[in-house]
Amino acid sequence: MTVTGIGAARPHRLSDAALAALGAGRPGPGVLDELRRVRMSRHLLLLRQIAALAGTACLRELSAAETTHPARTRALLDRPLFGVWAAGCLTALRDGASPEAAGVGHLTELAARARIPRPRQAERLLTAAHDGLSISVRLEDSDPLRARLGLTPTPPLSEAGAARWQAAFTEAWRLLVDRVRPDAEVLSRVLDCVVPVETDPAARGISATSVHAYGAVAISEPADPAALAVGLLHEANHSILNAVLYLFDLLEAPDTPGYSPWRDDPRPASGILHGAYAYLTVTRFWRTRPEDPLARFEFARWRAAVAAAAEGLTGLTPAGERFVGALLDEVRPWLAEPVGRDVLRLAEGANRDHHLRWRLRNLRVDPADAAALARAWRRGERPPPVTARLHRAPRRALEASARLDLAHRLLRGLPLEGSAGDLAYVRGDHGAALRAYRENRGDRTDWAGLLLVSGVPVAPEVAAAAGAALGADRPDPLAIVNWLS
Amino acid sequence: MDGGTSTTSATPDWRSAMIDVSALSLAELAADAETDRADDSPLAHCLRRLADDLAHPGEPIAGFNSAL
Repeated sequence: MTVTGIGAARPHRLSDAALAALGAGRPGPGVLDELRRVRMSRHLLLLRQIAALAGTACLRELSAAETTHPARTRALLDRPLFGVWAAGCLTALRDGASPEAAGVGHLTELAARARIPRPRQAERLLTAAHDGLSISVRLEDSDPLRARLGLTPTPPLSEAGAARWQAAFTEAWRLLVDRVRPDAEVLSRVLDCVVPVETDPAARGISATSVHAYGAVAISEPADPAALAVGLLHEANHSILNAVLYLFDLLEAPDTPGYSPWRDDPRPASGILHGAYAYLTVTRFWRTRPEDPLARFEFARWRAAVAAAAEGLTGLTPAGERFVGALLDEVRPWLAEPVGRDVLRLAEGANRDHHLRWRLRNLRVDPADAAALARAWRRGERPPPVTARLHRAPRRALEASARLDLAHRLLRGLPLEGSAGDLAYVRGDHGAALRAYRENRGDRTDWAGLLLVSGVPVAPEVAAAAGAALGADRPDPLAIVNWLS
Repeated sequence: MDGGTSTTSATPDWRSAMIDVSALSLAELAADAETDRADDSPLAHCLRRLADDLAHPGEPIAGFNSAL
C-alpha cells in the first residue's frame, strides 16, 4: 500500500554545514529556502489543527480556491501575518472559544481574496536595487493583524510618510549592499514585510519580531538609513533563530533567567541567545566602518557582549552546541582587531557599566543582611557574607543610561551636558569622576559610576544596600567599597 | 530531547521532529484532520511540539534601539 499525504511526509532536515552556517549568521540560499518551507509547514500544521478543532468545513472554500487559484492561495498562506492569525486562532480554540469567536471566518475572507487576481487597492511596497542586488518587501500599514507583533502600529501611512520610508529604505539598502553584501543577500531572502510602528518614548528607535511571523519586522520610522539597516539586520536574525528553534531545541532550560548585555531587565536564556544572535549581524555591520569613532565604539562594545553572552550560555543541547559554537567561531576573531584606546575605554566601560547597573536594578539584598552589614560597619568588623536574589522585572526594560548617551555625544563631537561625575568619566578623568561619585547619597547610577572608575571588584548591590542601611551615618561610599573588597 | 539528531555518516545531518508538510494541499490536510493518529506517530509527536510552542510563545523580541 502506498502511503500518501501527511503519512508520507518527511521530517525537516538540515545538514551539519547548514546548521553551522546558520549559527555563524551566514546561511546560504539553499538553507534560507528550507526556512521558507519551514514557515509554510508550520502554517499548514496550524491550519490542520484548526480544522481538527473547528471542523474541516472551515477549509472548504479555501481548498476550493487553492484548486482554481493555487499560486495566489499559497502566497496568502505563506505570509508571516497568516502565521500570527493561525497561532491566535488555534490558541483561542484550545481555550474553548467557538470557531466564530476564534476568528475562523478569516479563512473565508482569504479564499475570496485568493480569487481576486488584482486587488482593488494595490499593496504598498518598499523596493531597492544597488550594485546588482535588489529587494522588494511589503510595507504593511493596513492589515489589522499587524497589531499582533508586539508593538503599536502606526495608522495607515500618508503618501508623504510612505515616501519617507521608501527614501530611507533605498539608502539603507545601499549601505547594506556596499558594506555587508552577504548579509544583504540574506535579508533579501528573509524579509517579507515591514510594519511601521509608533516610536517608543523610552527608545530612540524600536523594533520587534514575533515568533509566529517569520520574515515580518515591526519597526519605528528610522532616525537615519543606518538605523534602518541595522534594525532590519537585527530583526531578520531574530526571525532566522525563531525558525531554527521551531526545528530544534538549542537549550535544555530556555526559561532560566540571567544577565543580558542588551536589556536592563533579566532575560530568559532563550532571550540571551536571541540577543547574541541578533547582535552578531549588528556587530558585523559596524565592523565595516573603522574610520567612524561611533561605529568603532559599537563594534568594540558588541563584539565583546556577543562573545560573553554566548560563552555564558549553559545547558546547550547537541544542536545548541553546534549552533552556538559556530556563532563563537564567527565573533571570536573580531576580539583581536585593533580599536583606538579612547574608543575601547568607552566601549569596555559601557559594557561594565551596564552590568553594574543591571545588578543594582535586579539583584536584591535581604533587609536583614543589609542591617547586618550596617552593624558590622559600625562595630569596625569585617563584612558578613551576603547573598543577593534576582528580582523578576514586571515589564520590559530597554537600556537607558545618561552616561551612555554622553559617550555617544562625545564620539559624535557634540556638546556635552551632564553630571560632574559622568562628564569627567567620559572625558577619561577618572580622578575627578571618582571625587564626584563619592558625593553619592544613594543614587544607583552613581554607585555604578563609583565602581566603574574605582575598579574595585565589589558586588554593587551589596555596596548600595550597605550604604542605604547606613544612611544616617553618611559614610564615604568609597570607604564602604574598600571595606567590602 | 525533542528534535536534533546528528548522524555519524559521511554527511551528518540534523533531523527535526517537525514534519515537512509544505507541499501538501489543503484537501490533504483536511482529510488528515479527520483521522485519528496513534500517539506515537511522527505526526503526533510533531503536533505535541507545536502545541508546546503555542503554550510557551515567549514575548515578542522587542526593544532594539536602532538609533544611536
